Amino acid sequence: MTDSIKHTIKKISLKLLVLTGVLVGLDLLYYYTLYPQDIERNCSLMEISQRAKAGVDMVYLGESSNFSCAKSDTDRRSISTIIGESLPAHQVGDLSKAACHASIYYDILRNIPRQNDVKTAIVTVNMRSFTAEWIYSDLETALRKEQIMMKKAPALYKRLLLAFKAYPVWTEEERSAIIRKGFKKQTFSLPHPFPYRNANEWDHGVGGSYTLYNGMQPSADSLALACHHIKHFACELDNKNPRIKDLDNIVRLCKKRGWQPVFNILAENVDQIDSLCGPDLLYLLERNVQYVTDRYEAMGVIVVNNLHAVRDNDFFDRDFPTEHYSQTGRKAIADNVVKKIATLR
Amino acid sequence: MYLCRPNSTPDEMLFNSIEFLIFFPLVTLLFYLLPHKHRWLLLLAASCFFYMWFIPKYILILLITILIDYSAGILIEKWEEDKTRKKACLVVSIVSTCLVLFIFKYLNFCSANLVALAQHFGWAHPQKILDIALPIGLSFHTFQSLSYVIEVYRGNQKAERHFGYYALYVMFYPQLVTGPIERPQNLLRQLHEHKELQYDNIANGLRLILFGLFLKMVVADNLGAYVDKIYADPFQYSSGDILLGMLFYSFQIYGDFFGYSTIALGCALTMGYSLMDNFKTPYLSGSIQEFWRRWHISLSTWFRDYLYIPLGGNRVSVPRWGLNTLIVFTVCGIWHGANWTFMIWGFTYGVLLIIERGLRNIHLFDKIENRSGRLVIKICNIAKTFVIVTLLWSVFRATSFGNLHDLFAALFHNGMLPSKLHVQPVAWAALALFIVFDLLIRDSRFDVWCGRQRPAVRWCVYAFLIFAVIALSSVEQIPFIYFQF
Repeated sequence: MTDSIKHTIKKISLKLLVLTGVLVGLDLLYYYTLYPQDIERNCSLMEISQRAKAGVDMVYLGESSNFSCAKSDTDRRSISTIIGESLPAHQVGDLSKAACHASIYYDILRNIPRQNDVKTAIVTVNMRSFTAEWIYSDLETALRKEQIMMKKAPALYKRLLLAFKAYPVWTEEERSAIIRKGFKKQTFSLPHPFPYRNANEWDHGVGGSYTLYNGMQPSADSLALACHHIKHFACELDNKNPRIKDLDNIVRLCKKRGWQPVFNILAENVDQIDSLCGPDLLYLLERNVQYVTDRYEAMGVIVVNNLHAVRDNDFFDRDFPTEHYSQTGRKAIADNVVKKIATLR
Repeated sequence: MYLCRPNSTPDEMLFNSIEFLIFFPLVTLLFYLLPHKHRWLLLLAASCFFYMWFIPKYILILLITILIDYSAGILIEKWEEDKTRKKACLVVSIVSTCLVLFIFKYLNFCSANLVALAQHFGWAHPQKILDIALPIGLSFHTFQSLSYVIEVYRGNQKAERHFGYYALYVMFYPQLVTGPIERPQNLLRQLHEHKELQYDNIANGLRLILFGLFLKMVVADNLGAYVDKIYADPFQYSSGDILLGMLFYSFQIYGDFFGYSTIALGCALTMGYSLMDNFKTPYLSGSIQEFWRRWHISLSTWFRDYLYIPLGGNRVSVPRWGLNTLIVFTVCGIWHGANWTFMIWGFTYGVLLIIERGLRNIHLFDKIENRSGRLVIKICNIAKTFVIVTLLWSVFRATSFGNLHDLFAALFHNGMLPSKLHVQPVAWAALALFIVFDLLIRDSRFDVWCGRQRPAVRWCVYAFLIFAVIALSSVEQIPFIYFQF
């Protein structure tokens, strides 16, 4: 190494040191000036965390299933409200936002102020959230963007990540391709011979043959719905699934902060799944629910299994699998959660 | 943090992305750690990686054009004495390189227009659409390849025998996607040179990158959000809003493209390579001719050297010169994109240049200049040129003639509507700062201007730019405008 190069390296190192000082100063400047405004504008999730204010001893983390109502509902209370009213000794904080999943719940929980009265965290577990359609959903970009500002990092660094788009940005075309790849990775095995090895093959098999499992020729709408169910539920959960990792993180966080985690496995339209896709898909779904139950009960989590709790006519979205229940459905879910919590107390 | 991209997502590695923020320092560091004889390999591999981030298989298209022009260069030199073979080789190289460009960029446009024409005459003809994405930077590296072959043919450049160096000349990642369109005499020569680690190169390169990021992320993206709204639905906005949208677009496209070019220059300079300047305060031009000497210089000089001069340049009769000008600017328009709006945009510039030359012979302004002073005339000329350029940018920005019609219809009919644009202070501040910087730097360059300041002032400017890039940049994803070309 020549003297001139040594000199250059020395000069660069010195300037990098000065730059570090400048960055620290800018971080402080940003934190006290524009950061609160940026949080307000780009991170509604932070506001959700702040809902766990003094006195709130139970938080309910959910997505649209918590507050979606059918047009005909006379009782428009959310699941969390019903839980709160059924447990008058507790004050329930609603930390819900549409399209949320375990990764977002983890960040919301992590950002609950240090000074809090929370004792129990009820976390919604949506079985659809484990598969590609949701993992790469079009709502994911906005959520992941919001998540950046919730990171445990210097304010200026978080803003840098936001400015340099450190979150997935996909065009509709790109997203479709990623989801299709995801379906191929949704492999499973059944206890008997089965013609399909993954969700993609099953979806193509049913869609291409225009025939349901029982040989019936469905209407175009029913066929589309059957394919949606297959894509959402045909998988075999294991600890590599990103949502399982998120749920593990939630359990760890709850333990660290002294909260009792309650996993509320949401009801799916099992009647529709059974009639359109047959017992094999239902078997996979039940097996996955069992996996979640066994895994997390072993970790000390209270798991409420609502999979079969709501009947077909209490799901009001008819053309796509959702967990949007009518008032009877919401009440059934809330009652099961309340019962489980009450039994254990 | 999202760093591992899912497989095969066809997006570009933008200069203002987190991926590039890791890629660039890593490549630069490795560049200086490696001995000179291996550096071309590193830069070529990095350039391939950069390009393949978009659609990996498209590297084959690039490889084909590289192979053709590399071979053509050698053959042209070999057949130096045999004029027919030499010319044939040049023609084959130009045609095949342009054919790739035509297929990917213009085939669907031509097909759609031919079908429309057939339907006009009552012939039913189904349109066949080629479902392909335009490879990023195709127009740019096609022109760069052509410039190499032509220069070898003219005897101004020796044919490159080392395939790796030639491939690197076409693919050099800082300027691969949107230029500057380099000449072999400048870039190819430098690629062979041994570059030592020099503080000035690193400092000036980083200064340029920082300034480029400011132009793109703070100026262009903040203004672009309003422009997009207006062009998406002009009838929703008042005449004042539309005029503001046009003004914002003038600065958006300037900030966007100038920003990209500046970052490209900076990236190259950190490794010791000097690329040509692409902009020299174009909005301070006093005439259309001057504007084209200051705007996208690497493209305008390309057209001058390889089309305008071969057509006869200035040394022809006035009507022939007019025709040449129209040809050059229409081709320049269509180079930007396969759309009639681009063609009209280019053609109009040709017409304006002809008018400008005609008016130059009327010496009316000479007298006024003497009376009113140089400054007033200069300001008037700059204002006139800026208004014309801004109006023509609206043709360039419009997605179709329908969109353009809507824009002008709304401009003339929505005078009484209240303003709906609600421009945030940060956008105004960005615009004002851009103008201030442009005036401060003028015909110089940001790194040079910075180097002339006292250290305290320099560091204040750095701190301000870093803060602006991080804290005042738009959080929306707005791709570089020239990526589409």
